[in-house]
Amino acid sequence: MSMLSPDHLIARGSRSSKSLTVLVTGLVVSINAYATEESGLDIPLFEEVAMPAGIEHSYDGPWEHFVGGGVAAFDCNNDRFADVFVAGGSNHSAMYINASSTAGDIRFEKADSPITDLKNVIGAYPVNINNDEWMDLVVLRVGRNMLLTGEPDCRFANANQKLLFDGGVEWSTAFSATFSNDDIYPTLAFGNYVDRTAPGSPWGTCSDNLLFRPAVDDNNQVAYPEAIPLDPGHCALSMIFTDWNRSGTDSLRITNDRQYHRGGEEQLWRTSDRYPRLYSRADGWAPLVIWGMGIAEADLNADGYPEYALTSMGDTKLQSVDVAQAVEENRPAYEDIAWDKGATAHRPYTGTDLKPSTGWHAEFADLNNDSLPDLYISKGNVEQMPDFAQYDPDNLLLGTHDDKFEEQGLAAGIALPRRGRGASIVDLNRDGLLDLIVVNRGEPVSVFQHTGYKSDHGPRAGGNWLAVELQQKGGNRHAVGARITVKTGNRVQSKNISVGGGHASGTADFAHFGLGVAERANIRVQWPDEEWSASYRVFANQHVVIKRGDDQVRYWYPIR
Amino acid sequence: MKHGSLNMKQLTDPLSQKSVFKLASGACLITGLILSGLVTASPWHEKAISQHIHRSEFSGQLGASEFEALRSSGEHLFSAQFTVHDGVGRPMATQAIIPTKRKRPPRSEFARMAGLDANACSSCHNQPVSGGAGDFSVNVFVSEGFTQADFDSSDPQFSNERNTNHLFGAGLVELLAREMTADLHQQRHEALLEAHRTSSDVRKTLVSKGVEFGFLIATPDGLIDTHRLSGVDDDLIIKPFSQKGVITSLRQFTVNALNHHHGMQATERFGSRWTGTPDFDEDGMSGEITAGDVSALVAYQASLPVPASKPVEGEWLEASNRGSALFDELQCSSCHVRALPLESLHFSDPGPLDTAGTLRQSEAGADAIYDLELLASVRQLEKNSEGHWMVPLFGDLKRHVITDNRNNHFGNELLSQRFVERNEFMTSELWGIASTAPYGHRGDLTTMAEAIEAHGGDAKNSRDQFAALSDASKGDVIAFLKTLIISE
Repeated sequence: MSMLSPDHLIARGSRSSKSLTVLVTGLVVSINAYATEESGLDIPLFEEVAMPAGIEHSYDGPWEHFVGGGVAAFDCNNDRFADVFVAGGSNHSAMYINASSTAGDIRFEKADSPITDLKNVIGAYPVNINNDEWMDLVVLRVGRNMLLTGEPDCRFANANQKLLFDGGVEWSTAFSATFSNDDIYPTLAFGNYVDRTAPGSPWGTCSDNLLFRPAVDDNNQVAYPEAIPLDPGHCALSMIFTDWNRSGTDSLRITNDRQYHRGGEEQLWRTSDRYPRLYSRADGWAPLVIWGMGIAEADLNADGYPEYALTSMGDTKLQSVDVAQAVEENRPAYEDIAWDKGATAHRPYTGTDLKPSTGWHAEFADLNNDSLPDLYISKGNVEQMPDFAQYDPDNLLLGTHDDKFEEQGLAAGIALPRRGRGASIVDLNRDGLLDLIVVNRGEPVSVFQHTGYKSDHGPRAGGNWLAVELQQKGGNRHAVGARITVKTGNRVQSKNISVGGGHASGTADFAHFGLGVAERANIRVQWPDEEWSASYRVFANQHVVIKRGDDQVRYWYPIR
Repeated sequence: MKHGSLNMKQLTDPLSQKSVFKLASGACLITGLILSGLVTASPWHEKAISQHIHRSEFSGQLGASEFEALRSSGEHLFSAQFTVHDGVGRPMATQAIIPTKRKRPPRSEFARMAGLDANACSSCHNQPVSGGAGDFSVNVFVSEGFTQADFDSSDPQFSNERNTNHLFGAGLVELLAREMTADLHQQRHEALLEAHRTSSDVRKTLVSKGVEFGFLIATPDGLIDTHRLSGVDDDLIIKPFSQKGVITSLRQFTVNALNHHHGMQATERFGSRWTGTPDFDEDGMSGEITAGDVSALVAYQASLPVPASKPVEGEWLEASNRGSALFDELQCSSCHVRALPLESLHFSDPGPLDTAGTLRQSEAGADAIYDLELLASVRQLEKNSEGHWMVPLFGDLKRHVITDNRNNHFGNELLSQRFVERNEFMTSELWGIASTAPYGHRGDLTTMAEAIEAHGGDAKNSRDQFAALSDASKGDVIAFLKTLIISE
């Protein structure tokens, strides 16, 4: 019998492993004298399952498709499982319907949908344009962009004509949307790349970007007949409407590719003015010239002011606003904190290729549910650029408890030798673990199923989580522009509902929060018109739906 | 690892196992002598924990001897007076259940309000014996501990003052809660399926083991409206521990309490995985409480005997019988349900319902599973016609509003706790009540009669009927309650 009285117990403090078996009066006593040691951060384990999941797709094409390669993740049939639309470049784009079972294997069925089966697609973003119950899709193309309005069962209609929207002939590579001044319908912004028809192209011949404000007729029908040029364009590869100074009014931040612009720089537009204006040196906007590829926004320190990750060739920028200047002087002065945070991600973290990286899609998300924001960056050589890394694995920068980032892409299983482009981080099987879809140039789409966390015993459960969906009546039913704050203990996390950013890729899904060891949370919502909600009390590991005006959340449970 | 075997008949309740312990003590003495040669610490060392328990030694289905080894280690830990050499103290951590830093270290580590407020678990859980309840003098002060915890008074605006509950029969209570939770989750699922199938809203009354928890409304799109739930959280998890019914498991309770009362921080919540440092409380000690230590403490608490019914005779028996009938007539037993049926006695640790920060089943290898039928007091439980064990807890594992405008004694708290309103408490289980004075969640009532008459809210009618009884009939009720004891 193994019975250890207190004084028989052995002091033990080391990690060394040793075991002692003592036979005493016919009884076997065994003392295993190694102590376990916690491994620190939870490293998510991803398994690439695209083929068994039913997604066989690749983005490819000539020079026009060296950039782009986006994916839109959103629910097109209102079953609250995220479906995906994937760009194809010179291949056809495709719509895949999510058929995954809850917490089971990820499964998709390709939709038989000619309207989403398009060529020359760069990327796409979901946004509800016509304010009905079905999510719509903005498709960016080399040539005519398309506004596809959603219908039941993931059917879509080409609404360009109905909405008086001229899709243009530009090479569109960026998109964002906002609901200005309590508009029922969104304002749309399109970022364009090189004007291939201009003399001297491709260098120094960037197309203007375009802004479309909603025109509403007497029957409350929306149209987008007028394109307002955002001149000059500097070959945008990502843009996002963002309330950078918590003024209640969005500005449009654009990241631009220095490869082709001449004299250009990063941009921040005041788009709420009748005639959009750039923030200038006099306004505090400092020049920054990068190979801007993607933007991610997050309020990393929960101070109410967003930080931005900007991908590039070489180092990633991570910018934090000078709050005093932002608040008191309306000056967008930013400090780069990427180095201090360990988030430069400027060269491959594994392999022998030490040349600079090429970053594309960036997205903040808590991939290990520890309540600390993580940063994902897709990577991949443009095509055959000899001065940049050929093997350039995607980054998974896990947030650490000392407010920095730690690279764990290799251990997580996402360091594939593929040329990443657009991506989406979304829980595809509703198990509370964020999965990852990556569109790769010239290679298959990667679908990384999150299977748990690395441990000596195989995958283990991780931190608690919360998924939040907002609904409001009237216009802007998905509450774009709202801010969700989640409080657990003394920690506050904040997330904006936005449309745009990344690299040609957008996601409209539950807002996901990792809660670490918190078993409960308080949620408050600042709705797009700035009104604050009541405080909602919720339990961890739940999908909750907040309908504006309700005094309690509703819980959603998948039943398949 | 191979263990000597003890059959079920040999293994009686821990507190009456002296014969078994005597047999084993010789072996342990020899073992200890052998092992002591390997120990670097001196015999006079000032540590309560000389060796931590390793979970891997106690995984899978435990036999009687393994269970007893784990339980006895837990018993030692439960009564151990922890010292700074074990890790007592949390100079830079509060008592909060989420690891939370203090802004500055306290002037004095020990303080009755925010803790540290005890040297051992048994310092408070000791009436009538270890594992039991506590006197008013060992009340605890419950606050979330997220802001600076240096309270300078016991003003209820800072914390809720609570008397110490006993833990006898706690393993059965947790098993009941798990089964009830499974029932409620199944009923929710059925409602969702029906709503989906019929494309219409479905109103579903939730009932488990005869206890009703209000109703929910399921909509065809998979949403659940929880406005009309009663006595259970929106997640439909029965949390059977604490007077508010907010703690899911003995394991969660143990991890919380070790930090709050002793500053002994369990690795499974305060280790580097969740805090980024092995010494979150900055007391210079890491690995203060291992997952195995917690498992041992859980095994000890889960195996505390079932409270007993005191054999009485003569005048007391007659009065008790009359009181027992009155207990039903007054509808005391509508909440203090005499017994709830339990299907399985297999206790798994970790359990199925804990969340991150309390060890879960998918972490660190297999569960320890032990059969509470190994305990003599459990084997003596009656079974119902379906073969389920009837657990005589005199409770319903449900929260009720317990105050009203006229009867507000129990409404003395100012702070809600974990989303539970100030005037709601879980029905106190009455088994063992005769051995666990004082009464009320603050322990400020010296007699059971006072406690009954302090009821309000959902219990108002029963309370009023009791108050209207003759003194003799009131005495009969007390005579009955006085038979509900914890054996010493």
